[in-house]
Amino acid sequence: MNRLFLSISLLAGFLALDGCYGRHTPEPPTTSDTYRPVYAAYAEIRNVQVRGPQPLRVAGKIYVKDDYLFINDIGTGIHVIDNRDPARPVNLAFVSIPGNHELAVQDSTLYADNVVDLVALNIANPRNIRVVRRVENTFDYPAFPLATNVRFECANRDRGVVIRWERAKIDNPECYR
Amino acid sequence: MKNLSQFLLLLLLVSCQAGSSDSPSPGSGVGGSTARFTISGNTLYTISNTTMQSYNISVSSDPKPGGKTALGTGIETIFPYRGNLFIGTQTGMLIYNTTTPNSPQRIGFYSHIQSCDPVVAQGNYAYVTLRSGTPCRNASINSLDVVDISNLSSPKLIKSYPMTNPHGLGVDGTVLFVGEGEAGLRVMDISDPANVRQLQYFDSTRAFDVIPYKKQLLVTGPDGIYQYSYADMKQLKLLSKIPVQP
Repeated sequence: MNRLFLSISLLAGFLALDGCYGRHTPEPPTTSDTYRPVYAAYAEIRNVQVRGPQPLRVAGKIYVKDDYLFINDIGTGIHVIDNRDPARPVNLAFVSIPGNHELAVQDSTLYADNVVDLVALNIANPRNIRVVRRVENTFDYPAFPLATNVRFECANRDRGVVIRWERAKIDNPECYR
Repeated sequence: MKNLSQFLLLLLLVSCQAGSSDSPSPGSGVGGSTARFTISGNTLYTISNTTMQSYNISVSSDPKPGGKTALGTGIETIFPYRGNLFIGTQTGMLIYNTTTPNSPQRIGFYSHIQSCDPVVAQGNYAYVTLRSGTPCRNASINSLDVVDISNLSSPKLIKSYPMTNPHGLGVDGTVLFVGEGEAGLRVMDISDPANVRQLQYFDSTRAFDVIPYKKQLLVTGPDGIYQYSYADMKQLKLLSKIPVQP
């Protein structure tokens, strides 16, 4: 009798849990937009280059160290400015870093995000900046679009890094959020 | 002859040393209030929407990934202050101490309604701006909160001041700068935290984030980077502008 009671309570418990689960799991949206990932090869995004001065396109985060000013250009890299005379800042160089948004400096090392990697650059000579260390896959892989309540083609890490999501008509996309 | 060449070599070494005097000094620099990377001591902290990652940078050229700390959701900004980390989230301000740099410990939380909110600190006060509008959720409030942090484990609101559309802020001494986005740049006198007053307002300087540094104010905005001198706090002077060229 006791055992039967236990079985029934356990079963009831599981049913209750299942009921809770069912109520709280959102159903995949069926009418909203669908998206697909646009990939870049890992070799393509892990390509940091120092170029001559470039015009500022979209000003992002900024960082000051001593007489130098570092300006992120959203998603593309960092402008290096000689700011010894703040009335006449001199644009020295542009460090092209795909996917870059953030930056910080300790001693003569500049840290920057490069999509899923962290890169450390030596800036001892601001006219001769170079990558000295790369910490691979330290940031989250961009596995879903920013928009919520949408369906999308699942991202596949083997195909590279997702650099953006484009709206597209996709039959039965398996992922949603 | 040998002596002469040694002398020349020495001269060369000395001149090299003199030439490198403008190379970066030890330690970290200064970032803005909306930063998601920051340095405290010998540790670099980076935040994602949900977690904080630490890197040991005792040897700055060799960052070593350390501990990962779960912070919750809607994590936006990180600001270092006296060995503590002030983390701006969509629901409030988290305070962590870095006594164990590799695994910071949560010591306090200041909660507010959902909005975007960077934070800076100075003395016994933290300054938090709240902004409504996308991508921040449902809040319809724009304000500057002055918070008493003399007890880090229980931050207390002193007063909330109305703002237009604050994005980033910076503090130096008795002056606080607020980037009001499309609405411009505000200069506030904070000598009395219970009675913060506006000193100057530049409605045409579209401003996202600000960094006060050596009596110069750096301002980022959709039009470029502005630099002002605030040697005279009542009268900011524009020094230069690096324009955006679309």
